[in-house]
Amino acid sequence: MKRLLLPLLICTLVSVSLFANGGQEQAAEEGPIELVFWTHEDPNRTVIEERYIQEFEAANPGITIKRVTHSSTKIQELVLTAFAANQGPDIFNMSIEDEYAYIANGRLSPVDPKAVGYDNLTALKDAYIPKVLDPVTMDGKIYGLPLELTNWCIYINKNVFRDAGLDPETDYPKTWEEVADVSEKLIIRNGDIITRRGFDFRYPYYLVSMVPMVEQLGGKLISDDGKTAIVGEEAWIEFLNYMKAWGPNGRNLGAPTYKNARKLFNYDNNDIAMAMTGLYQQGRIKADDPEFYDSGNWMVVPYPQFANAKNEVAGCYYGHYYMVNGQTSSRRQEAAWNFIGYMLGHGEEYLTTVNIIQPTKKLMESETFKNMPYSSVFSNDMEKGHIVYYGENSAKMQELIKQAVESVMLSGVSSEKAYATLKAEAQELLDEE
Amino acid sequence: MSRHHASSPLKRHQDRWGMIFVLPAILFFSLFSFYPIINALFTSLFRKKVLSLKPPTFIGLENYHYLLTSADFWNSIRATIVFTLGTFIPLLVASLILAVLITQMRRGQKFLQMAYYSPAVLSSVVAAAIWLLIFDPRGLANQWVNFVMNTPGVDHKWFADATMVQMATMLVYFWKYVGYFVIIFISGIASIPPTLYEAARIDGSSSWQSFWRITLPLLRPTVVLVSIMSMLQCLKTFSTQYLFTQSGAPQGPINVITMNIYNTGIRDQRIGRASAMSIILFAIMLFFTWLQFSTSKSDEVSY
Repeated sequence: MKRLLLPLLICTLVSVSLFANGGQEQAAEEGPIELVFWTHEDPNRTVIEERYIQEFEAANPGITIKRVTHSSTKIQELVLTAFAANQGPDIFNMSIEDEYAYIANGRLSPVDPKAVGYDNLTALKDAYIPKVLDPVTMDGKIYGLPLELTNWCIYINKNVFRDAGLDPETDYPKTWEEVADVSEKLIIRNGDIITRRGFDFRYPYYLVSMVPMVEQLGGKLISDDGKTAIVGEEAWIEFLNYMKAWGPNGRNLGAPTYKNARKLFNYDNNDIAMAMTGLYQQGRIKADDPEFYDSGNWMVVPYPQFANAKNEVAGCYYGHYYMVNGQTSSRRQEAAWNFIGYMLGHGEEYLTTVNIIQPTKKLMESETFKNMPYSSVFSNDMEKGHIVYYGENSAKMQELIKQAVESVMLSGVSSEKAYATLKAEAQELLDEE
Repeated sequence: MSRHHASSPLKRHQDRWGMIFVLPAILFFSLFSFYPIINALFTSLFRKKVLSLKPPTFIGLENYHYLLTSADFWNSIRATIVFTLGTFIPLLVASLILAVLITQMRRGQKFLQMAYYSPAVLSSVVAAAIWLLIFDPRGLANQWVNFVMNTPGVDHKWFADATMVQMATMLVYFWKYVGYFVIIFISGIASIPPTLYEAARIDGSSSWQSFWRITLPLLRPTVVLVSIMSMLQCLKTFSTQYLFTQSGAPQGPINVITMNIYNTGIRDQRIGRASAMSIILFAIMLFFTWLQFSTSKSDEVSY
């Protein structure tokens, strides 16, 4: 029997390896299909999309849709792992900097304009505001449709301002220097421990929220020809100096180790005065604390600019795009685009119920959008901003910026050294692409 | 007995049934352990990205060369060694001392064993979530340390300082697993015949002398087992460091090899390079496993 052991092991391994790379099961061309739809958690959006699913299924017998929600910080890994095993969902959405790799690696189905309700691609493109479909366009084909286009401005809790003896209508910060100074007036500490922050950054979304700060100072993440990373030494060092001064070893105004400001803001618990977040936050304030929402004791102001800014740049905007798995049957792909087209036909309801902006011309010009509280602040900033950096290595690029910021804020590394390390590593990353 | 000596029919029958019973475990091990190791070794020789549909490019040992000349990888080696040494030595010493103390107690043994062991049954995610709250600047850790040291309002920067965040991860791991090794030591102590202690007491031996001359020498195999087990577990640590960095802790000081493997494979999608890292880690752990086998054979004790 022992002599059989080794051959048995080898047979097991060979047979396993033969089946280990099993491709995605191809649905039969006939018969009912179940589309798997993965998206991130958003209680307000879940309510309306569940209803859309019921309506779509009623109108399309033979098609069922299974909607699965995941944490917004975990969905990237889950979708990646699923696609790596060739078991990706039929429909999914993430932010473009996480989705771009799927376009670049040919994993997606191009949009069928007719399936989503347009006569042709030109009509589809014309329906959206300029440039918003550029990140999902490759070789003339479009690989996603925007669920939302989001930028971040500064939400202000007026109660906290008044408690600190400030007038929120006039004393809100317009520059990053004022953000720090006003935060100093708003902050409450027990020794070194902050119990009420004035403002804190949107860690760990450095590409969206902090790269524009560098751009205001004249620097860039990538040069215009796409060959050089971390451009503008002076700008980057000035930015890193600002973050160093912000952190616990400087003025101690906040740190990545405190709870995210946007998660505290809704509850009006006198623990945060300002938070950087998007239009969607209003729906969450309304859901979490209707009294606070209705009180009018909050407001939204534009993304600050450095006093010595060379360029006026607002926070980046990012898009979440609905995409379709290109490794399934054409019938499933068509059904998926049909469903996406159906969902996205409810732009005004997404805006009023979920507070997310689908960047169609129709919606941006509608009275519904114009009547949303502070929508003009967001739309004005969107005009001064640009799409977040996206590329195959955008996740790693963000991680490198995170390490640079953390090293100066928390580890006492000099801004010059952090800049040098960031530049070398980002350049290596760019050269590998 | 010579290998080639003819086995009796009874022995052959017993051997056959023995293999049949062991076969499911062998198949399970082959499928879920042996095959992934071979696959990782194979993948490590290629440049391969997770999402790419193109065939991977064979690059030989280039991934290994890159890693062995990469500052980031050597930082991971440093972080892993610091964590391992800083955790398994206190684990070993503290679990031995606690086991000795518990076995000498007349009452409350079961309760204490349960109390020390209970964190080990928590998932790492739950344990990290608990300690995230404790290590928050406004949390219990700062409050307790400030109370004891009479330093009100001091933020000990459990996550913000490079040294403190490493200590925080060691503390969490120690808290979670000390009870597990206490139980192992208690089992070892229980196997020592009490007659030896009785004889020593008759000869006038003190408790301290009994511990050094009887308990410790006879516990040597258990000490070796616990030290190697705890060291191997420390080398594989991941959840605590991952969850802390997700919550804002700086990555550099606690970027252990397993987290580097995860980030390289999943975030950066470089599965070939991640596989090479995992093979290097496997080699390190294989070395310590060999060390266990070679030292444990020379440490057999008899009474």
